[in-house]
Amino acid sequence: MNTTAQSNFRDLLKLKSIEARLAFEKKYPKAHQFLLEKGIEIGKLREHSAKLISAGALTGTLLLSPPTGASQLPSPSEISKSIDGIIDRNEKKLPQKDLIDAFNFMLPKEVRPLSRDEEKKLEQVIKDTTDIPAKASLEGEHLNTTYGYIGAEQHLKRYPGDILENHGPYYKEGIAPGLGAWGYFAKSKDKLTLDLVETEKWYAVVQTLYLPDWNSRQPYLHNWYKHRKVMVVNTKNGNAVVAAIADAGPAAFTGKHFGGSPEVMEYLGGSRYKKGAVLLFFVDDPENKIKLGPVKYNDVELPEGSLIQI
Amino acid sequence: MSMLFFDHLVVINGLDKKIKKLSSSNDEMQELWKYVEELIHHRVLDCCLDNLPEEHHSEFLDKFHKAPHDIGLLDYLNQKIGKDVEKLIKIEIKKLRKELLLLDSNKM
Repeated sequence: MNTTAQSNFRDLLKLKSIEARLAFEKKYPKAHQFLLEKGIEIGKLREHSAKLISAGALTGTLLLSPPTGASQLPSPSEISKSIDGIIDRNEKKLPQKDLIDAFNFMLPKEVRPLSRDEEKKLEQVIKDTTDIPAKASLEGEHLNTTYGYIGAEQHLKRYPGDILENHGPYYKEGIAPGLGAWGYFAKSKDKLTLDLVETEKWYAVVQTLYLPDWNSRQPYLHNWYKHRKVMVVNTKNGNAVVAAIADAGPAAFTGKHFGGSPEVMEYLGGSRYKKGAVLLFFVDDPENKIKLGPVKYNDVELPEGSLIQI
Repeated sequence: MSMLFFDHLVVINGLDKKIKKLSSSNDEMQELWKYVEELIHHRVLDCCLDNLPEEHHSEFLDKFHKAPHDIGLLDYLNQKIGKDVEKLIKIEIKKLRKELLLLDSNKM
Protein backbone atom coordinates (compact mmCIF):
# COMPACT_ATOMS: atom_id res chain seq x y z
CA MET A 1 0.00 0.00 0.00
CA ASN A 2 1.35 3.41 -0.96
CA THR A 3 1.48 5.59 2.16
CA THR A 4 1.89 8.78 0.09
CA ALA A 5 -1.32 7.98 -1.78
CA GLN A 6 -3.03 7.28 1.56
CA SER A 7 -2.02 10.52 3.15
CA ASN A 8 -2.73 12.48 -0.04
CA PHE A 9 -6.30 11.16 -0.23
CA ARG A 10 -6.87 11.67 3.50
CA ASP A 11 -5.60 15.27 3.39
CA LEU A 12 -7.63 16.12 0.29
CA LEU A 13 -10.78 14.59 1.79
CA LYS A 14 -10.30 16.41 5.07
CA LEU A 15 -9.73 19.68 3.22
CA LYS A 16 -12.81 19.14 1.07
CA SER A 17 -14.89 18.45 4.15
CA ILE A 18 -13.65 21.59 5.91
CA GLU A 19 -14.28 23.66 2.76
CA ALA A 20 -17.86 22.35 2.57
CA ARG A 21 -18.43 23.29 6.23
CA LEU A 22 -16.98 26.78 5.83
CA ALA A 23 -18.90 27.39 2.61
CA PHE A 24 -22.14 26.35 4.32
CA GLU A 25 -21.47 28.58 7.34
CA LYS A 26 -20.74 31.52 5.06
CA LYS A 27 -23.70 30.97 2.76
CA TYR A 28 -26.24 30.18 5.47
CA PRO A 29 -25.09 31.89 8.69
CA LYS A 30 -28.61 31.84 10.19
CA ALA A 31 -29.05 28.12 9.54
CA HIS A 32 -25.60 27.45 10.96
CA GLN A 33 -26.39 29.53 14.06
CA PHE A 34 -29.76 27.82 14.52
CA LEU A 35 -28.26 24.32 14.45
CA LEU A 36 -25.43 25.46 16.71
CA GLU A 37 -27.91 26.77 19.28
CA LYS A 38 -29.74 23.46 19.19
CA GLY A 39 -26.44 21.69 19.85
CA ILE A 40 -26.42 19.93 16.47
CA GLU A 41 -23.19 19.38 14.59
CA ILE A 42 -23.86 18.68 10.93
CA GLY A 43 -21.14 16.02 10.98
CA LYS A 44 -22.99 14.26 13.79
CA LEU A 45 -26.53 14.39 12.43
CA ARG A 46 -26.81 10.62 12.46
CA GLU A 47 -26.04 10.42 16.18
CA HIS A 48 -28.55 13.20 16.87
CA SER A 49 -31.21 11.36 14.86
CA ALA A 50 -30.43 8.05 16.55
CA LYS A 51 -30.90 9.68 19.95
CA LEU A 52 -34.32 11.04 18.93
CA ILE A 53 -35.47 7.78 17.36
CA SER A 54 -34.34 5.81 20.38
CA ALA A 55 -36.22 8.10 22.78
CA GLY A 56 -39.29 8.14 20.51
CA ALA A 57 -39.29 4.37 20.00
CA LEU A 58 -39.25 3.79 23.75
CA THR A 59 -42.14 6.11 24.46
CA GLY A 60 -44.03 5.43 21.24
CA THR A 61 -43.94 9.08 20.30
CA LEU A 62 -41.89 9.17 17.12
CA LEU A 63 -42.13 12.72 15.87
CA LEU A 64 -44.13 13.24 12.72
CA SER A 65 -44.31 9.51 12.13
CA PRO A 66 -47.43 7.41 12.39
CA PRO A 67 -47.99 6.55 16.05
CA THR A 68 -47.09 3.02 17.08
CA GLY A 69 -50.11 2.97 19.33
CA ALA A 70 -48.05 2.04 22.35
CA SER A 71 -47.04 4.36 25.10
CA GLN A 72 -45.93 1.35 27.14
CA LEU A 73 -44.41 -1.91 26.00
CA PRO A 74 -46.92 -4.76 25.74
CA SER A 75 -46.80 -7.54 28.32
CA PRO A 76 -45.56 -11.01 27.24
CA SER A 77 -49.12 -12.38 27.30
CA GLU A 78 -50.33 -9.51 25.14
CA ILE A 79 -47.52 -10.20 22.66
CA SER A 80 -48.28 -13.90 22.63
CA LYS A 81 -51.95 -13.15 22.01
CA SER A 82 -51.22 -10.69 19.25
CA ILE A 83 -49.00 -13.12 17.32
CA ASP A 84 -51.44 -16.00 17.66
CA GLY A 85 -53.31 -14.58 14.71
CA ILE A 86 -50.11 -14.46 12.66
CA ILE A 87 -48.75 -17.91 13.39
CA ASP A 88 -51.28 -20.71 13.32
CA ARG A 89 -49.80 -23.05 15.91
CA ASN A 90 -52.16 -25.87 15.00
CA GLU A 91 -51.43 -25.92 11.30
CA LYS A 92 -48.60 -28.28 10.27
CA LYS A 93 -46.26 -26.08 8.37
CA LEU A 94 -42.50 -25.79 8.22
CA PRO A 95 -41.34 -23.36 10.95
CA GLN A 96 -39.37 -21.46 8.31
CA LYS A 97 -42.57 -20.89 6.34
CA ASP A 98 -44.21 -19.64 9.55
CA LEU A 99 -41.38 -17.21 10.09
CA ILE A 100 -41.50 -15.86 6.54
CA ASP A 101 -45.28 -15.44 6.77
CA ALA A 102 -44.90 -13.61 10.09
CA PHE A 103 -42.27 -11.28 8.61
CA ASN A 104 -44.49 -10.55 5.61
CA PHE A 105 -47.28 -9.63 7.97
CA MET A 106 -45.31 -7.74 10.61
CA LEU A 107 -42.49 -5.94 8.85
CA PRO A 108 -42.84 -2.66 6.96
CA LYS A 109 -42.24 -2.75 3.22
CA GLU A 110 -39.14 -0.57 3.47
CA VAL A 111 -36.35 -1.20 5.97
CA ARG A 112 -36.38 1.25 8.87
CA PRO A 113 -35.72 1.37 12.61
CA LEU A 114 -38.54 -0.53 14.31
CA SER A 115 -40.52 0.58 17.34
CA ARG A 116 -39.93 -1.32 20.57
CA ASP A 117 -43.45 -2.72 20.28
CA GLU A 118 -42.67 -4.17 16.86
CA GLU A 119 -39.35 -5.52 18.10
CA LYS A 120 -40.93 -7.22 21.12
CA LYS A 121 -43.41 -9.06 18.89
CA LEU A 122 -40.63 -10.13 16.52
CA GLU A 123 -38.53 -11.39 19.44
CA GLN A 124 -41.44 -13.60 20.45
CA VAL A 125 -41.99 -14.92 16.92
CA ILE A 126 -38.28 -15.70 16.53
CA LYS A 127 -38.14 -17.44 19.90
CA ASP A 128 -41.26 -19.48 19.09
CA THR A 129 -40.01 -20.64 15.70
CA THR A 130 -36.25 -21.00 16.19
CA ASP A 131 -35.90 -21.33 19.98
CA ILE A 132 -33.18 -18.67 19.94
CA PRO A 133 -33.61 -15.97 22.63
CA ALA A 134 -33.07 -13.02 20.31
CA LYS A 135 -33.35 -9.56 21.86
CA ALA A 136 -33.43 -6.14 20.22
CA SER A 137 -32.24 -4.63 23.52
CA LEU A 138 -29.86 -6.48 25.75
CA GLU A 139 -28.50 -5.20 29.05
CA GLY A 140 -29.76 -1.77 28.08
CA GLU A 141 -27.87 -1.72 24.76
CA HIS A 142 -29.65 -1.25 21.46
CA LEU A 143 -28.40 -0.70 17.93
CA ASN A 144 -29.62 2.28 15.93
CA THR A 145 -31.60 -0.10 13.80
CA THR A 146 -32.46 -3.79 13.99
CA TYR A 147 -34.03 -3.99 10.53
CA GLY A 148 -31.77 -2.99 7.67
CA TYR A 149 -29.69 -4.10 4.73
CA ILE A 150 -26.73 -6.41 5.16
CA GLY A 151 -23.81 -6.34 2.74
CA ALA A 152 -21.02 -8.78 1.94
CA GLU A 153 -17.77 -8.28 3.81
CA GLN A 154 -14.32 -9.75 3.29
CA HIS A 155 -12.53 -12.21 5.56
CA LEU A 156 -10.67 -10.65 8.48
CA LYS A 157 -7.05 -11.29 9.39
CA ARG A 158 -7.13 -13.41 12.54
CA TYR A 159 -3.46 -13.10 13.52
CA PRO A 160 -0.36 -11.36 12.14
CA GLY A 161 0.59 -13.00 8.87
CA ASP A 162 -2.85 -14.52 8.19
CA ILE A 163 -3.61 -14.84 4.47
CA LEU A 164 -6.67 -15.48 2.30
CA GLU A 165 -5.55 -19.02 1.49
CA ASN A 166 -6.21 -19.95 5.13
CA HIS A 167 -9.89 -19.02 4.81
CA GLY A 168 -11.18 -21.66 2.41
CA PRO A 169 -13.47 -22.54 0.80
CA TYR A 170 -14.75 -18.97 0.37
CA TYR A 171 -12.03 -17.02 -1.45
CA LYS A 172 -14.14 -14.83 -3.74
CA GLU A 173 -14.64 -11.91 -1.33
CA GLY A 174 -10.94 -11.70 -0.49
CA ILE A 175 -9.39 -10.61 2.80
CA ALA A 176 -9.65 -7.07 4.21
CA PRO A 177 -6.36 -5.18 3.85
CA GLY A 178 -6.73 -3.64 7.32
CA LEU A 179 -7.83 -5.12 10.62
CA GLY A 180 -11.35 -5.29 12.02
CA ALA A 181 -12.39 -2.73 14.62
CA TRP A 182 -11.32 -5.12 17.40
CA GLY A 183 -7.94 -5.93 15.85
CA TYR A 184 -6.53 -9.41 15.46
CA PHE A 185 -8.51 -12.30 16.93
CA ALA A 186 -5.32 -13.83 18.34
CA LYS A 187 -1.79 -12.54 18.93
CA SER A 188 -0.28 -15.34 16.85
CA LYS A 189 -1.27 -18.41 14.85
CA ASP A 190 -0.43 -20.60 17.87
CA LYS A 191 -2.91 -18.70 20.03
CA LEU A 192 -5.78 -19.07 17.54
CA THR A 193 -8.33 -21.33 19.22
CA LEU A 194 -11.12 -23.20 17.46
CA ASP A 195 -13.59 -20.76 19.04
CA LEU A 196 -11.77 -17.84 17.45
CA VAL A 197 -11.71 -19.61 14.09
CA GLU A 198 -15.49 -19.92 14.35
CA THR A 199 -15.80 -16.28 15.45
CA GLU A 200 -14.09 -15.00 12.30
CA LYS A 201 -15.95 -17.48 10.13
CA TRP A 202 -19.35 -16.35 11.42
CA TYR A 203 -18.81 -12.67 12.00
CA ALA A 204 -21.14 -9.71 11.63
CA VAL A 205 -20.51 -6.01 11.24
CA VAL A 206 -22.67 -3.40 12.98
CA GLN A 207 -22.61 0.40 12.95
CA THR A 208 -21.28 0.98 16.45
CA LEU A 209 -19.61 4.13 15.14
CA TYR A 210 -22.98 5.87 14.76
CA LEU A 211 -24.28 4.99 18.22
CA PRO A 212 -25.10 8.28 19.97
CA ASP A 213 -23.20 7.28 23.11
CA TRP A 214 -20.33 5.39 21.49
CA ASN A 215 -17.66 7.96 22.32
CA SER A 216 -18.92 8.91 25.75
CA ARG A 217 -19.19 5.33 27.08
CA GLN A 218 -15.75 3.97 26.34
CA PRO A 219 -14.19 1.52 26.99
CA TYR A 220 -17.40 -0.13 28.24
CA LEU A 221 -19.17 -0.23 24.87
CA HIS A 222 -16.05 -1.36 23.01
CA ASN A 223 -15.79 -4.36 25.32
CA TRP A 224 -19.53 -5.00 25.39
CA TYR A 225 -19.82 -5.23 21.60
CA LYS A 226 -16.63 -7.25 21.06
CA HIS A 227 -17.66 -10.66 19.68
CA ARG A 228 -21.20 -10.09 20.99
CA LYS A 229 -23.51 -12.77 19.60
CA VAL A 230 -26.24 -11.63 17.25
CA MET A 231 -28.88 -13.44 15.30
CA VAL A 232 -29.17 -12.42 11.67
CA VAL A 233 -32.31 -13.46 9.82
CA ASN A 234 -32.90 -13.02 6.12
CA THR A 235 -36.45 -11.67 6.14
CA LYS A 236 -37.16 -12.91 2.60
CA ASN A 237 -36.31 -16.60 3.06
CA GLY A 238 -36.07 -17.07 6.83
CA ASN A 239 -32.48 -18.33 6.76
CA ALA A 240 -30.84 -17.47 10.06
CA VAL A 241 -27.34 -17.38 11.44
CA VAL A 242 -25.89 -16.72 14.88
CA ALA A 243 -22.85 -14.53 14.34
CA ALA A 244 -20.33 -12.63 16.43
CA ILE A 245 -19.72 -8.90 16.05
CA ALA A 246 -16.14 -8.45 14.88
CA ASP A 247 -16.05 -5.19 12.95
CA ALA A 248 -17.63 -1.73 12.85
CA GLY A 249 -19.44 -0.46 9.79
CA PRO A 250 -20.50 -0.30 7.07
CA ALA A 251 -20.31 3.41 6.24
CA ALA A 252 -23.75 4.97 5.95
CA PHE A 253 -23.11 6.12 2.37
CA THR A 254 -22.99 2.48 1.19
CA GLY A 255 -26.75 2.25 1.75
CA LYS A 256 -26.21 -0.76 4.06
CA HIS A 257 -26.62 -1.10 7.83
CA PHE A 258 -24.85 -4.37 8.63
CA GLY A 259 -22.18 -6.60 7.19
CA GLY A 260 -21.68 -10.35 7.09
CA SER A 261 -18.64 -12.58 6.61
CA PRO A 262 -18.52 -14.62 3.37
CA GLU A 263 -19.83 -17.63 5.32
CA VAL A 264 -22.70 -15.65 6.87
CA MET A 265 -23.73 -14.25 3.50
CA GLU A 266 -23.51 -17.64 1.78
CA TYR A 267 -25.83 -19.17 4.38
CA LEU A 268 -28.28 -16.28 4.38
CA GLY A 269 -28.75 -16.09 0.65
CA GLY A 270 -26.37 -18.23 -1.39
CA SER A 271 -23.20 -17.51 -3.30
CA ARG A 272 -24.61 -14.57 -5.25
CA TYR A 273 -26.15 -12.84 -2.24
CA LYS A 274 -24.46 -9.45 -1.80
CA LYS A 275 -27.13 -7.31 -0.16
CA GLY A 276 -30.49 -7.97 1.42
CA ALA A 277 -32.93 -7.05 4.16
CA VAL A 278 -32.31 -8.71 7.51
CA LEU A 279 -33.27 -8.52 11.14
CA LEU A 280 -30.33 -8.36 13.51
CA PHE A 281 -30.98 -8.98 17.21
CA PHE A 282 -28.63 -9.71 20.10
CA VAL A 283 -28.60 -13.28 21.40
CA ASP A 284 -29.28 -13.54 25.11
CA ASP A 285 -26.79 -16.28 25.92
CA PRO A 286 -25.14 -15.56 29.28
CA GLU A 287 -23.87 -19.11 29.64
CA ASN A 288 -22.42 -19.20 26.13
CA LYS A 289 -24.39 -22.28 25.13
CA ILE A 290 -25.55 -21.19 21.69
CA LYS A 291 -23.12 -22.04 18.92
CA LEU A 292 -22.15 -19.67 16.16
CA GLY A 293 -23.29 -20.63 12.67
CA PRO A 294 -26.49 -21.59 10.87
CA VAL A 295 -29.69 -21.86 12.89
CA LYS A 296 -31.43 -25.02 11.77
CA TYR A 297 -34.98 -24.94 12.96
CA ASN A 298 -36.89 -26.98 10.39
CA ASP A 299 -36.57 -30.32 12.18
CA VAL A 300 -40.20 -31.25 12.39
CA GLU A 301 -41.70 -34.58 13.40
CA LEU A 302 -43.60 -35.79 10.41
CA PRO A 303 -46.58 -38.12 10.88
CA GLU A 304 -45.79 -41.82 10.57
CA GLY A 305 -45.86 -43.00 6.98
CA SER A 306 -45.32 -39.59 5.50
CA LEU A 307 -41.85 -40.57 4.34
CA ILE A 308 -41.94 -43.25 1.71
CA GLN A 309 -38.79 -45.19 0.92
CA ILE A 310 -38.19 -45.32 -2.81
CA MET B 1 -38.24 6.34 8.02
CA SER B 2 -34.47 6.03 7.94
CA MET B 3 -31.89 7.62 10.21
CA LEU B 4 -31.87 10.75 8.08
CA PHE B 5 -34.64 11.75 5.72
CA PHE B 6 -32.32 11.66 2.70
CA ASP B 7 -30.46 8.39 3.50
CA HIS B 8 -32.14 6.38 0.76
CA LEU B 9 -30.97 8.94 -1.81
CA VAL B 10 -27.33 8.76 -0.75
CA VAL B 11 -25.53 5.69 -2.00
CA ILE B 12 -22.00 6.32 -3.19
CA ASN B 13 -20.84 3.16 -4.93
CA GLY B 14 -17.15 2.48 -5.24
CA LEU B 15 -15.99 4.92 -2.57
CA ASP B 16 -15.96 2.45 0.31
CA LYS B 17 -13.67 0.11 -1.63
CA LYS B 18 -11.31 2.99 -2.33
CA ILE B 19 -11.29 4.08 1.33
CA LYS B 20 -10.64 0.53 2.53
CA LYS B 21 -7.73 0.26 0.13
CA LEU B 22 -6.26 3.58 1.22
CA SER B 23 -6.68 3.15 4.99
CA SER B 24 -3.88 1.74 7.07
CA SER B 25 -6.01 1.14 10.16
CA ASN B 26 -9.63 0.83 11.21
CA ASP B 27 -9.43 4.18 13.02
CA GLU B 28 -8.20 5.86 9.87
CA MET B 29 -10.97 4.29 7.82
CA GLN B 30 -13.59 5.55 10.27
CA GLU B 31 -12.00 9.00 10.17
CA LEU B 32 -12.35 9.05 6.38
CA TRP B 33 -15.95 7.88 6.62
CA LYS B 34 -16.59 10.75 9.01
CA TYR B 35 -15.26 13.29 6.50
CA VAL B 36 -17.44 11.82 3.75
CA GLU B 37 -20.45 11.84 6.07
CA GLU B 38 -19.87 15.49 6.96
CA LEU B 39 -19.47 16.39 3.30
CA ILE B 40 -22.70 14.63 2.36
CA HIS B 41 -24.69 16.35 5.10
CA HIS B 42 -23.41 19.80 4.17
CA ARG B 43 -24.01 19.26 0.48
CA VAL B 44 -27.54 17.88 0.96
CA LEU B 45 -28.57 20.66 3.35
CA ASP B 46 -26.97 23.18 1.01
CA CYS B 47 -28.98 21.71 -1.89
CA CYS B 48 -32.22 21.89 0.12
CA LEU B 49 -31.68 25.48 1.28
CA ASP B 50 -30.49 26.60 -2.16
CA ASN B 51 -33.77 25.56 -3.68
CA LEU B 52 -36.08 26.41 -0.80
CA PRO B 53 -37.40 30.01 -0.77
CA GLU B 54 -35.75 31.87 2.12
CA GLU B 55 -39.02 32.55 3.96
CA HIS B 56 -39.34 28.81 4.62
CA HIS B 57 -35.78 28.24 5.88
CA SER B 58 -36.61 28.65 9.58
CA GLU B 59 -39.62 26.38 9.40
CA PHE B 60 -37.66 23.70 7.55
CA LEU B 61 -34.74 23.83 9.99
CA ASP B 62 -37.12 23.62 12.91
CA LYS B 63 -38.83 20.53 11.47
CA PHE B 64 -35.45 19.06 10.54
CA HIS B 65 -33.88 19.43 13.97
CA LYS B 66 -36.95 17.90 15.65
CA ALA B 67 -37.14 14.89 13.34
CA PRO B 68 -34.16 14.52 10.99
CA HIS B 69 -35.35 10.98 10.18
CA ASP B 70 -38.79 12.02 9.01
CA ILE B 71 -39.21 11.20 5.34
CA GLY B 72 -42.16 13.61 5.34
CA LEU B 73 -39.57 16.38 5.10
CA LEU B 74 -39.18 15.45 1.44
CA ASP B 75 -42.90 16.10 0.88
CA TYR B 76 -42.57 19.39 2.70
CA LEU B 77 -39.61 20.41 0.52
CA ASN B 78 -41.31 19.26 -2.68
CA GLN B 79 -44.33 21.34 -1.82
CA LYS B 80 -42.43 24.51 -0.92
CA ILE B 81 -39.85 24.24 -3.68
CA GLY B 82 -42.26 23.11 -6.37
CA LYS B 83 -39.68 20.72 -7.78
CA ASP B 84 -38.73 17.10 -7.21
CA VAL B 85 -36.26 17.51 -4.35
CA GLU B 86 -35.29 13.83 -4.42
CA LYS B 87 -34.09 14.30 -7.96
CA LEU B 88 -32.13 17.42 -6.94
CA ILE B 89 -30.44 15.57 -4.05
CA LYS B 90 -29.61 12.62 -6.30
CA ILE B 91 -27.99 14.96 -8.82
CA GLU B 92 -25.95 16.58 -6.04
CA ILE B 93 -24.80 13.21 -4.72
CA LYS B 94 -23.88 12.02 -8.21
CA LYS B 95 -21.73 15.13 -8.58
CA LEU B 96 -20.16 14.54 -5.18
CA ARG B 97 -19.45 10.90 -6.00
CA LYS B 98 -17.54 11.91 -9.09
CA GLU B 99 -15.56 14.52 -7.14
CA LEU B 100 -14.67 12.02 -4.42
CA LEU B 101 -13.64 9.24 -6.76
CA LEU B 102 -11.40 11.63 -8.66
CA LEU B 103 -10.16 13.44 -5.56
CA ASP B 104 -6.60 12.18 -5.65
CA SER B 105 -6.22 12.07 -9.40
CA ASN B 106 -5.07 14.98 -11.51
CA LYS B 107 -8.34 15.08 -13.42
CA MET B 108 -9.99 17.45 -10.96
